[in-house]
Amino acid sequence: MNDYQQRLVILAALYVTLAVSLNLINGITGQFSIGHAAFYQIGAYSAGYISHRWITELGHSPPRILWLFGMLLAGAAFAAVAGLIVGLPSLRLKGDYLAIVTLGFGEIIRIAVQNTDALGGAYALQQIPKIYPIWLFWILAITCIAVTRNLIKTARGLTFLAVREDEIASQAMGVNVTKVKVTAFVLGSAFAGAAGALLAHYEGDITPGMFAMDTSFIILTMVVLGGTGSITGSIFAALFLFYLPEYLRGMKTADGSALAVSGATVVASLLMVLIAVVCLKKILDSHWGDPRRRGAAYAAVVVASLVLVRVLVPIVGLFKPLSVMQVPTDQLRMVIFAVSLIVIMLLRPQGIFAHHEFSWTWLKRVFHRGDGPRTEIAS
Amino acid sequence: MNEVSFQLEKGDLFGLIGPNGAGKTTCFNMITGVYRPTSGGIWFNGKEITGTPSNRVASLGIARTFQNIRLYKALSVLENVIVGGFLRHKTSLFSSLAYLPGAIRETEEMRQEALRLLDVVNLRPVADVRSADLAYGMQRRLEIARAMATKPQLLLLDEPAAGMNPQEKDDLNGMVKKIRDEHGLTVLLIEHDMRFVMSLCERIVVLDHGEEIAQGPPQAIRNDPKVIAAYLGEAV
Repeated sequence: MNDYQQRLVILAALYVTLAVSLNLINGITGQFSIGHAAFYQIGAYSAGYISHRWITELGHSPPRILWLFGMLLAGAAFAAVAGLIVGLPSLRLKGDYLAIVTLGFGEIIRIAVQNTDALGGAYALQQIPKIYPIWLFWILAITCIAVTRNLIKTARGLTFLAVREDEIASQAMGVNVTKVKVTAFVLGSAFAGAAGALLAHYEGDITPGMFAMDTSFIILTMVVLGGTGSITGSIFAALFLFYLPEYLRGMKTADGSALAVSGATVVASLLMVLIAVVCLKKILDSHWGDPRRRGAAYAAVVVASLVLVRVLVPIVGLFKPLSVMQVPTDQLRMVIFAVSLIVIMLLRPQGIFAHHEFSWTWLKRVFHRGDGPRTEIAS
Repeated sequence: MNEVSFQLEKGDLFGLIGPNGAGKTTCFNMITGVYRPTSGGIWFNGKEITGTPSNRVASLGIARTFQNIRLYKALSVLENVIVGGFLRHKTSLFSSLAYLPGAIRETEEMRQEALRLLDVVNLRPVADVRSADLAYGMQRRLEIARAMATKPQLLLLDEPAAGMNPQEKDDLNGMVKKIRDEHGLTVLLIEHDMRFVMSLCERIVVLDHGEEIAQGPPQAIRNDPKVIAAYLGEAV
């Protein structure tokens, strides 16, 4: 594995951890938090700072893996405490307040770090010892997945889903709703903090810019795209959204230079997507019961749009500036990113996996077109 | 609400009736701690529970259903009832997160118990159906099963027969009586359907505009001029 491939594998593990831990808060417990990067940052800076300060003074005496593991726990603990401090007052409130509070909190943390010289300020917290065994990154991700999955498979975990579904009814069943919400929030924050701690020891230098609002939104997008409440969905969406831009960046022509397409192709493709989405939406909303008829209609739309784009390119190309302009694919990745999101939100607003989890029974059910219960425990 | 006072004895089947806007559901919400009364108090088993938060009230042994059905829509019928067993969870959050044998066993116990309750309300055949996909009458029965899962001493039913056809109402009538007898419960219910209340309840209190206008056994209520006036309008 070269450095770049290693980087992909490591960051993918972190994104999976972040997406699944946010899903615990957003999807499973239904609390709309949009500042997950703040806890990622708290984990990174607390563990990074401790390492940066102390590992030299300890003269490399502790075994490095053990040290890293300790830092992972420290990052998780700091983020959990921060989660508790933010969550306790704000989770008593309902609805959108939490979104506002977490959004604000994310910015406050970032700006506070930016203005703290001891943490490197706007520049970077440097010279964190680089310790990054790849397996530990994936163990963290797998632990996060396992814990979340265990939770929703037990009776106690069902209360988390119940709080998402109806707070008043849950309260009437004796559930301390605030406690459940805070628990989920603290747990999700702790995993984000642990991920941050590992990131700090992988990068060596960390900057506040790495934890800006768009990081929060990318994590949130992963959760929503995969289907809020579905762990499987979060994992798939995290991997997809992380690798898609990287893949586009890696596209090369035969002679090794970066692949570029003409502006006309880009515009024509966008037009094609627009038309195709409208058609697919119409089919989705129609009440055709026959799956074969639907399938044929979907196929027809796909074929028609492929033909359409061939026709559209020369037509759009008549507008000279567009046909002359060359766009390298790595600059297109954000466009494709956004378009695929819009398409999925229009065609399947509940996310790719909706509330479903991957299991063999689920797979069977999909092929038999039944609509069973949305969660695990009953099946 | 103003000047309302009634007392339930253990094992009562007590009806709370009145025209729309009389304050029946408000009364339930005050008992279960959703609202706090501005004056007066509520006692349960000799202990004052005025203003106690909902979840504490539930843990004391008062369970309720909701007029505007509040099921966990995305969860299955069975899962809805399992959540009702929350108060009897003994294992810790940690054992649930680590999937320890204790948590697995407890989940299985809750599941079995929920299935038994589904038998009582005749919903076992649809245990795996999403609760939102149930017919209206079934949703009402599921709410009763979920409330029963908390093992209450006092069961508050808010319009349990609303939206049911006559056959379903008869079944419900028998079901409520059976639940009361078998589980030694006290039942307080709000209902609009007079025939249903009269045949089910042993004592009734009538509210109008937040005030108590009558109290007594069904026969006395039926002939009370104030009650007739409240329901049919005053003679001019």
